[in-house]
Amino acid sequence: MTDVDTVDIHVRVNGTSRRASVPPRLTLADFLRVNCGLTGTHLGCEHGVCGACTVLLDGEAVRACLVFAVQAHDAEVTTVEGLAGPDGELSTVQAAFREHHGLQCGFCTPGFVVSVTAFLAENPKPTDEEIREALTGNLCRCTGYQGIVNAVRAAADTAGTTVTEGPA
Amino acid sequence: MTRTVGDATYVGTRTLRVEDLRLLTGTGTYVDDVIRPGMLHACFVRSPMARARILGIDVSEASQLDGVHAVFVAQDLNPGVREQWYTLNGPDDPDTPRPPLAEGEVRFVGDPVAMVVADDRYIAEDAAELVVVDYDPLPPVVDYATALDSTESVHADRPGNLVGQLGGRPMADLEPVFENAPHVVSQTVYQQSHGPVPMETRGIVAEWAAAGGEMTIWAATQSPHEVRSFCARLLGIAEHRVRVVMRDTGGGFGQKVLPQREDMCVMLAATKLPAALKWIEDRQEHLLAAGQARHEHGEARMAFDDDGRILAATLDHVQDAGAYPTPSPVQSGVAVGMLFPGPYRIPEGTFSSRFVFSNTSGRVAYRGPWQYESMARETLLDTAARQLCLDPVELRRRNMLSRDELPTANFNGMPYDHISPRETFEQALKMLDYEAFRREQARAREQGRYLGVGTCTYVEPTAGATPFHATEGATIRIEPSGKVNVYVAGGSCGNSLETTVVQLTADALGAAIEDVSTVQGDTAVTPYGAGTGGSRSGPMTAGAIARTAGELRERILAIAAHKLEVPAEEVEFIRGRATSKRSGGAGLTLAEIADIAYYQVHALPPGVPAGLEASGRYHTPHLMIWANATHVCTCEVDVVTGEVTLLRYIVSEDCGPMINPSVVEGQIFGGTVQGIGGALYEHLAYDEDGNPVSTTFMDYLLPTATEVPVIEVGHVETPSPGPGGYKGVGEGGAIGSAPAVVNAVADALAPFGVRISRLPLTPSSIVGLLEEARARQAVTR
Amino acid sequence: MKPAPFTYHAPAGGDEAVGLLAELGEEAKAIAGGQSLVPMLALRLAAFGHLVDLRRLDELRGIERRGDGTVWIGAGTTQATVQRSDEVRAAVPLLARATPLIGHFQIRSRGTVGGSLAHADSAAEYPAVALTLDAELEALSPRGRRTIPAERFLTGMWSTALAEDELLTGVNFPVWKGRCGFAVEEFARRSGDFAIAGATVALRVDGDGRLDRCAIGLFGLGATAIRARGTEAALIGSDPAEADAEEIVRSATEGLDSVPSDLHGSAPYRTRVGAAMVTRAWRRAVQEALHG
Repeated sequence: MTDVDTVDIHVRVNGTSRRASVPPRLTLADFLRVNCGLTGTHLGCEHGVCGACTVLLDGEAVRACLVFAVQAHDAEVTTVEGLAGPDGELSTVQAAFREHHGLQCGFCTPGFVVSVTAFLAENPKPTDEEIREALTGNLCRCTGYQGIVNAVRAAADTAGTTVTEGPA
Repeated sequence: MTRTVGDATYVGTRTLRVEDLRLLTGTGTYVDDVIRPGMLHACFVRSPMARARILGIDVSEASQLDGVHAVFVAQDLNPGVREQWYTLNGPDDPDTPRPPLAEGEVRFVGDPVAMVVADDRYIAEDAAELVVVDYDPLPPVVDYATALDSTESVHADRPGNLVGQLGGRPMADLEPVFENAPHVVSQTVYQQSHGPVPMETRGIVAEWAAAGGEMTIWAATQSPHEVRSFCARLLGIAEHRVRVVMRDTGGGFGQKVLPQREDMCVMLAATKLPAALKWIEDRQEHLLAAGQARHEHGEARMAFDDDGRILAATLDHVQDAGAYPTPSPVQSGVAVGMLFPGPYRIPEGTFSSRFVFSNTSGRVAYRGPWQYESMARETLLDTAARQLCLDPVELRRRNMLSRDELPTANFNGMPYDHISPRETFEQALKMLDYEAFRREQARAREQGRYLGVGTCTYVEPTAGATPFHATEGATIRIEPSGKVNVYVAGGSCGNSLETTVVQLTADALGAAIEDVSTVQGDTAVTPYGAGTGGSRSGPMTAGAIARTAGELRERILAIAAHKLEVPAEEVEFIRGRATSKRSGGAGLTLAEIADIAYYQVHALPPGVPAGLEASGRYHTPHLMIWANATHVCTCEVDVVTGEVTLLRYIVSEDCGPMINPSVVEGQIFGGTVQGIGGALYEHLAYDEDGNPVSTTFMDYLLPTATEVPVIEVGHVETPSPGPGGYKGVGEGGAIGSAPAVVNAVADALAPFGVRISRLPLTPSSIVGLLEEARARQAVTR
Repeated sequence: MKPAPFTYHAPAGGDEAVGLLAELGEEAKAIAGGQSLVPMLALRLAAFGHLVDLRRLDELRGIERRGDGTVWIGAGTTQATVQRSDEVRAAVPLLARATPLIGHFQIRSRGTVGGSLAHADSAAEYPAVALTLDAELEALSPRGRRTIPAERFLTGMWSTALAEDELLTGVNFPVWKGRCGFAVEEFARRSGDFAIAGATVALRVDGDGRLDRCAIGLFGLGATAIRARGTEAALIGSDPAEADAEEIVRSATEGLDSVPSDLHGSAPYRTRVGAAMVTRAWRRAVQEALHG
């Protein structure tokens, strides 16, 4: 394609080792979508604002459009496809989005689900204000955020219940 | 024949969405997820100038880049156009120009000039940078508001830049009323250009099979059948040679109702290429060229008697069409004037609407495209209340229609019925506790805090019966196993149409909902339909399903009755099981009935055909189905920074009985937030040379979760005369919200004497308004 | 929206990295978190023949309390790491409070301390914090290491004192001891957007309740973050509880002569907002210094 050399990379994506020789300018988002066939990671702006492409890179939520695939060499990536159980059982966050009408067209949804998964892992008992603040890195045009905010609240409360089970 | 709402098992419940499982797990199929063998990728070379003559295009360097297959310019693609018109408007409607690629002259920044086709989008973008276009700049017509007086023409054959105009009776007719009225209030509000901006940009994949002359298209669209019709006409091939497939579309809001110029280019180019061609618009292209909406102003006037009763109203409205509107704005734009009277008792009035070309991105449809009627009317009413020293709520109470005055017609002859504006208005005010808010506002003002409340009440035609939209079909196939597939045209872009269709079908048949699945969005297998748009899907698909399922249900009952040896009237068929009191507990499952229908044809009762499959088409007898709502919003304005914080947001709406309350509320929430964006944040702005200045999401500001308040919804239920009593609900949220927000801000700033005439109400513009008001008052003193 | 092609380098150490930068010259650009650089590449507002990725430079990461009364933060340390750091929260509160204001959490996962400083956007938080706290920036080049005071580091909009072959390796933030107050206030159109204007205030009072140290920073109001040094000097020795906030604001924002102007606000509007932010930050910092 160009006279620029490709670079060999190794990335673990949703637990599977992926080796590829990629042009350096290939974004992680395009690597996941095109090279790995994981089209759940969506491109809504490609300049780091909309959040639709959010994935976990070594456990942290990042914009896959703002990371080059070569920068993910030897890293662990989790995409929206990696969140449900092996039998397709929805994760707590995914189930809460469904229960609370947290999605409509679904295009922004993978980014929200991945972001919220990371957010609740770091802050399992967020206030309502913290929830809204955490959601500002993802844009949605369908839901007016109402169902999404409710879903995150519910997911936090559900997960919280599980954690606090047993003697207090 | 059809079942009534009272029999519903699933309709009316918050059934979880069937779409969600794939969308939550990243396994949906949006157009960019479609991969075809050898697929090529397109990128457009776009004009960097608002208006210029194209003196020459040199594609030689771009063509030679490794991985580039073709670089097309206007001469390559434009002659391929056979016919170009939209079904909605028909072939004979006066249309606006729509060349695939710019020919001779570019007319806005972003105008597509050439198309590069390459192995991937990266290379296509590299090559696009190598295309050299020699431009001779011309003076652009940037401001539509002065375009009618410009000596420059956006399109040479349209001197004066007028696309078209429409209106009611002559304004002069009304002059005596205004001259003799005790009070006349008028104002002009300039609304800024903004737009649908779905999270998924535009996109299309077109694959041409030359040998058979067949085109297959995957598209991000609200109307797969319209894409098919349009493509067949464009290329001059038979409609059934074109197949259009859409599974998931990431938001439409009107932007994706019709194919645009870039789609034409991809369709035309695909016929010249050996493999499928994909074009996925990037966000910058989207903000440059996917279109604008809501860019309009109007001088609104009302005459009042001494009791604050409206005597007459007029609107002199002007709307920006941009350079290449989709479609011509005249036909749909007239709704602004027609609906301007809104839900008020106004004895007489009139309007005039003019649509004007400018060297900017073309006008497209946007959720409630006539929204300006509410903006003009509702902000005028608040201004009038201030001038007449009446509370705006009291002014509205004196003039608003209530149910017992129906049916009636507005002064333009629009016939209103089955609406409840006064009821939604009172419900919303009660939810707020309006009087308590006024007390809180007074207390806050004493502390130097500025709170405001604004309302907007509107009536809205849904499921309009244009020739294109007046029918909808459904095919229901009950498979031999008893599983049900319902086929409708689709075009769902987040409208939850799969879920509601499954609910409607399960109830109409009497099937168990888990046995019902739906197929939508593939023109090869679904009945023809206009797609999503005009808030039509609820009533229209309900009609189609009722008709089709009713026929199948009769056959199911007949087969069951025959087998159970009881009269058909005695058979109960609920949740997929047929029983009869007389058969002593014996029953038949839908699977057993289907087995008879397909495999035991000899056991069918006389006259019942084999199989369990039916198609039906609903033709609405209603010109439109009215819906209505009231939005009430409170806010606080920081008079230092100009920041507006929304405090409470209440919508009381009447969409008749709800098929799925979660879906209804989701539509209202989404539309409302788009209106909030329009009032406060979103602006497709141009500088004075016609350069767009908000072409990224850093500058085009969509509301996020922290800018949006909790939205409270109240329901009033007035059944429509249509199927199931349903009404459309897709657009209303986006109509009522911006005026309510603007009124709330104006109310908050009323102590300063602020007059709002330009949108959006950004913090800096609010500070500007405060400074203007201060200067004005200094002069008056 | 895809970046133009480039050659990728991932050097294993700082010397190798600066060697590459020296060798490749203006064709090369260092990339750390890439949260500002990659959008510019994607929009093709910028293009470089070579990107030198700092991801393998472990020596650029870390947060350490140093014996000289500073906290050293490696340039490659992510903003998310800073946000999580108890050390930063305790020893450099202004930095801790500014961090959540940077972009969104998904940006802070990648964005680095050094990246933000070296990008030097005048509306960004970290340059203002570094300037306010008189941080010292460490740089490495083939000519060796040097330390640059924040004041001299920020030379203009998106420009710094770093040479083409020089790499920011770390920042030393002085730890203010005693009765101190710190505040950062900014106004942005939406959460996470670049500030229209912002202000930082750091101050310390002596045993008599008089100011013995005071720093006021402004961001989004010029080509770089700015210190209101004249205002600060006038305040030393005064009782902050008695200070005339309006006068402080007036003097801190007067004479600003390169306030940017764009779609989101004219220069006068930004100045007005900046003044409001100074007021708010001042009050909060005083409150903290006097009452904890």
